[in-house]
Amino acid sequence: MTTPVLSVRDLTVSFPSEAGRVDAVRGVSFDVAAGRTLGIVGESGSGKSVTSLAVMGLLDENASIGGSVTFDGQELLGKSDAQMSKIRGNGIAMIFQDPLTSLTPVFTVGDQIVEALTVHNPKLSKRAAWDRAVELLRLVGIPRPQERVRSFPHEFSGGMRQRVVIAIAMANDPKLIIADEPTTALDVTIQAQILDLIKTAQRETGAAVMMITHDMGVVANVADDVLVMYAGRAIEQAPVDELFADTRMPYSIGLLGAIPRVDKTEKTPLVPITGAPPLLVDLPDACPFADRCPIVTPECRAAEPALVTVGGKADHRAACIRAEEIRAGRIDGGPVYPVPEVPASRFDEVPRDLREPTLEVENLTKSFPLTKGAFLKRKVGEVHAVKGVSFDVREGETMAIVGESGSGKTTTLLQIMDFAPQDDGDVRIVGTSVADLKHAREERALRRDVQIVFQDPMGSLDPRMTVFDVVAEPLRTVGTAAKDIGPRVDELLDLVGLDPAHSDRFPAAFSGGQRQRIGIARALATNPKLVVLDEPVSALDVSVQAGVINLLDELKGRLGLSYLFVAHDLSVVRHIADRVAVMYLGSFVEHGDVDEVFDDPQHPYTRALLSAIPVPDPVRERTREHIVLTGDLPSPTDTITGCAFVSRCPLYQTLDPAEQTRCETEVPALTGRDGVHVNACHYR
Amino acid sequence: MVVAVTNLTYFLAWAYLDPRANYVGRRPPLSEEQIVNLLEPRDLYDGTPLLVRWWHWFSGILFHWDWGVGPTGQSVNEQVAYRMWVSAELMLGATILLTVLGIALGVYSASRQYRLGDRIAQGTSIITMNIPIVVAALGLVLLAIAFNETVGTTVFYVTGSSSIGVSGFFPVLVDTLQHIALPTLALVLIGYAQYHFLQRSLLLDNIKSDYVRMARAKGLTKQQAIRKHALRTSLIPVTTQVAFSIPAVFTGAVLTESIFAWKGMGQYFIETITKNDIHGVVAVAAFGAVITAFGAILADIAVVVLDPRVRVS
Amino acid sequence: MTSRPIPLNDPDAGDDTTTPGSGHDAPERKRLTKWQLYSRRFARNRPAVAGVVIFALLVAFALFGSFFAKYDHVELDFLALSDPPSPEHWFGTNNSGNDLYAMVVVGLQRSLLIAVVVAVGTTVLSALVGTAAAYFGGRVERVSLFVIHFLMVAPTFLLLAMMSNDSGGDWKVIALVLILVSWFFQARTIWTMSLSLREREFVHAARYMGVPGLRIVLRHMIPNIGSLLVINFTLGVVGAVMAETGLSFLGFGVKLPDVSLGSLIGIGASSISSAPWLFAFPAAALTLLTVSMALIADGLRDALDPTSAAGGRA
Repeated sequence: MTTPVLSVRDLTVSFPSEAGRVDAVRGVSFDVAAGRTLGIVGESGSGKSVTSLAVMGLLDENASIGGSVTFDGQELLGKSDAQMSKIRGNGIAMIFQDPLTSLTPVFTVGDQIVEALTVHNPKLSKRAAWDRAVELLRLVGIPRPQERVRSFPHEFSGGMRQRVVIAIAMANDPKLIIADEPTTALDVTIQAQILDLIKTAQRETGAAVMMITHDMGVVANVADDVLVMYAGRAIEQAPVDELFADTRMPYSIGLLGAIPRVDKTEKTPLVPITGAPPLLVDLPDACPFADRCPIVTPECRAAEPALVTVGGKADHRAACIRAEEIRAGRIDGGPVYPVPEVPASRFDEVPRDLREPTLEVENLTKSFPLTKGAFLKRKVGEVHAVKGVSFDVREGETMAIVGESGSGKTTTLLQIMDFAPQDDGDVRIVGTSVADLKHAREERALRRDVQIVFQDPMGSLDPRMTVFDVVAEPLRTVGTAAKDIGPRVDELLDLVGLDPAHSDRFPAAFSGGQRQRIGIARALATNPKLVVLDEPVSALDVSVQAGVINLLDELKGRLGLSYLFVAHDLSVVRHIADRVAVMYLGSFVEHGDVDEVFDDPQHPYTRALLSAIPVPDPVRERTREHIVLTGDLPSPTDTITGCAFVSRCPLYQTLDPAEQTRCETEVPALTGRDGVHVNACHYR
Repeated sequence: MVVAVTNLTYFLAWAYLDPRANYVGRRPPLSEEQIVNLLEPRDLYDGTPLLVRWWHWFSGILFHWDWGVGPTGQSVNEQVAYRMWVSAELMLGATILLTVLGIALGVYSASRQYRLGDRIAQGTSIITMNIPIVVAALGLVLLAIAFNETVGTTVFYVTGSSSIGVSGFFPVLVDTLQHIALPTLALVLIGYAQYHFLQRSLLLDNIKSDYVRMARAKGLTKQQAIRKHALRTSLIPVTTQVAFSIPAVFTGAVLTESIFAWKGMGQYFIETITKNDIHGVVAVAAFGAVITAFGAILADIAVVVLDPRVRVS
Repeated sequence: MTSRPIPLNDPDAGDDTTTPGSGHDAPERKRLTKWQLYSRRFARNRPAVAGVVIFALLVAFALFGSFFAKYDHVELDFLALSDPPSPEHWFGTNNSGNDLYAMVVVGLQRSLLIAVVVAVGTTVLSALVGTAAAYFGGRVERVSLFVIHFLMVAPTFLLLAMMSNDSGGDWKVIALVLILVSWFFQARTIWTMSLSLREREFVHAARYMGVPGLRIVLRHMIPNIGSLLVINFTLGVVGAVMAETGLSFLGFGVKLPDVSLGSLIGIGASSISSAPWLFAFPAAALTLLTVSMALIADGLRDALDPTSAAGGRA
């Protein structure tokens, strides 16, 4: 092996805080060699981002940093801001998470690329710098770079902005590119484009890449070596194939077991990791994972285990005293994590046709007026956020709507929750049409039957109310007698796996997963028939996510609920849903039983969507076919005469002109086996 | 809006002010007939129906740009035309000075957050911002008098906007400066601090923003990144704030002008109310409304110039 | 990993380090620590503590100062006209022989009373209008905003002067008029803040539960701008004191025989070079009042703001 580009030894970072000194990074060591990619995986608070910022010298001034960071033979720690600025953007470049906020809004993208060039090459002429900026934009795949170089960031979509950020990172041929969750804020089809682009950038510049992510699929897709972080330390480190094939540390095993897989048919419950990561204040000298570990022994709490080589392989190291006993995620012949039981639903045996519908949606449409002019607003057109969507949800069934941002899935859901009357359609909840609601009293009565769980577990609970009041609110609203409220709240909290004794605390005292459980308890308070779930797990870390998914599964079986589930994460949908609809630009493009759709995707968009998701298995990931869609979602204001997917459709490219004309002019209808599997493509 | 406000003030003014009161208690007492004879031609006689009076007054503005006369017969137009510039002299200078001072201090403070310089600057600002203008102005008067006595000549004039009988460019300039120094200082003293705080907090927000971190990741030093990327974006809200606060400066000028005996719009405001000068009051109200509207338009223009996001849409 | 909107004023959201689920400590203690956190942050801010001390002394002076006064504020001592401060008249006298000490005590009382009444009134009115406009939207919002914008263009100080002048210096009328002309600035700020509150998921959640609108405003919206209201209240006191003294100084506010700090300064101003004490004492009381209140507001802002970096310093 050649000398590494970046060599980090025993890095420590700590910050002062109200509660005491927070040790965010506690002795991390790794090397990254030219042309290689190191994936650093961990959940929020594991110290992975802090590590990258420490390498860049971009931490707050109140952080104290120890250890050693050697880049290209120079020690970086201890360098002044002015000295570091010679290296940043030149030797080391960085790609940040949120492309929407990382570009300065008041300068053109050209200005910002040119700035990156000239700050390190003051002699570069203005002309040459602009030419190079255009060249870079072309390299990262921005169409018409000559014109777009003068655009402002807000004129670009999120994916396009991330391309600009990558162009800036590539500008000075860096030796090391640090990418901090570069695709987390993006949709899957765009994520696939950006991951490809980062690989291209690496090939062009021969740089070493540090890829920081929470997504095991992304790691399997891009990394050569992997470092798993937990509570500020590296707890397992190995080449990517080795790590996935022969996982040794229980936390890494749990992380892999907790992820639903889009490529697996059988529905075994996910394996959650119980508990939450420790606070990084005054940590005792013990294994930080001990409290959550299923195979913990008293020795684990005696001292914090060091990261040592396991299995006699020099490049596989783990920080677990039982690592040698564990082989490929199993110990003593059984799995490290016990597989939880999920009760069967009483509807399992009932055929779908015989179940009562809890929600029927017919030709749901929502349009927003498009106005122009600041003073006298005049309507210049309409944006159709949802166009003629129809589906039903039956008892004990989970219907999922998947789509990327802007597909109209959330609007569909809010239209249903708003009880919005339809001009040329209908929404019926447990048989009652929302058009028939006359009084506020009737509306309130119907609300008992349909409740909602939101995405953000922090935002959906009023921070000024105790958990008791939060859960009691729907009960009070429907007029439950005061004496019955207390027992019912306790019962609900118990149902979602929380201790009722904690009900007089404020939501802030709970972790994300617990807050989401409180939100679910609230939704169940009035014994609804239908629960609407708006991305209920996407804000949670994977280890916690699994627990909430299992809870939802369990409640469905036990209480006979129906779910209407909206998500962008197809793996979660595959795991939890019975029926699924894929939405694109306000319409369903494919709709049917979940296994039918996932095992035999027909619409080109569904196919692309499924292939774009990286699976947490490096061997499969290398052999899978990836359909990378070109371009972005068209703007909803564009007028589309035919199929909405034409502009990005890979199938369309292969058709002959006559067939293409049909795609362009004729809106495809959902056809196929009615009620089982339909799709909206003329040629599938 | 401006027209509506002006007309509303007209009616309100009639409800609260009584031009007749000026003649009550005169020695020798005036007869009812004499009073009517004095008020009638000036459209101030309350025997005429209100709507008739209003139409006289309003049509006068609409067709002749004539804002009527005061109870003593002086033309409102003349008064406003003259006083407007006296006020403008004071307001404009003070606004520019306090904005520049506030922004400069804000930038200084933000780049030295929580260090001694920042703490001293913030401590001073929070005190000056909350000194009532009356106290500040009168305190300055006391200091200036003491200073003048120590020096032995009158360096600062504590009353009036100019001395009589001064001519020539430089003497007039020096004389103006001697007069304008104290009221300007008073306005700046109490006014700069709000921009200090605003600029400081906006800049701090922007320093923490992703794009400043991105600029540093490109290879700019922290100071360069702040100057180039954070400052420009943080100036946008400050500019709108300045434009919107022009009316507030005017209100502040009411007290300042009255303390320093400047014959500006602020002092006219007090004079018209005490003298029950309805037409004058309404003119002051209209002036205020116009200034507010002007400030709002200025703010819009500033945003369009500074912010490309608005420019497009 | 989706970006979370910055909470408006949620002290616990900023530092999520408060024990997730380590569950043995009693709930009472939990609540206490929240207030302890506020007070610890506040107490660390020395200027703010100084503000509280000064303000408390001023209130004590206003309430109990008259017990030590040798004269009543309307009583005239003809043997001491325009006397400088002396053991007999601690703050001196004016040209009619009024004891300035007694007048300052009464003036401070009057100014404080008006300020507190106005601050309470403005805070309540602005909170209700601002949050209701934001929550209900539609016609309620349009009408409220129209009124607010109209009042912003209207020459309020002029109206204020006219109305309070007409009232003959009755402090209750002055307070009422002051509320009328100052609520809308705050209401607008609250409206803008509530717009983002309206989109918070817990408000949506309450609506989808069928909770009536007014109850959502009172139970969810207003408590969540609580710290803003506290700060508005303290700043409202400062603003009201300044407006009242400005008016009284010009002679449009509180009138003799009633006195306020503003009218006292107005009297002092006319003899500023011959009898400077007549200006100095009320001016000092007034400045101490406004500055101490502002320091308190500043301290509260830091203590209640979850994102405040000062909070991070142990």
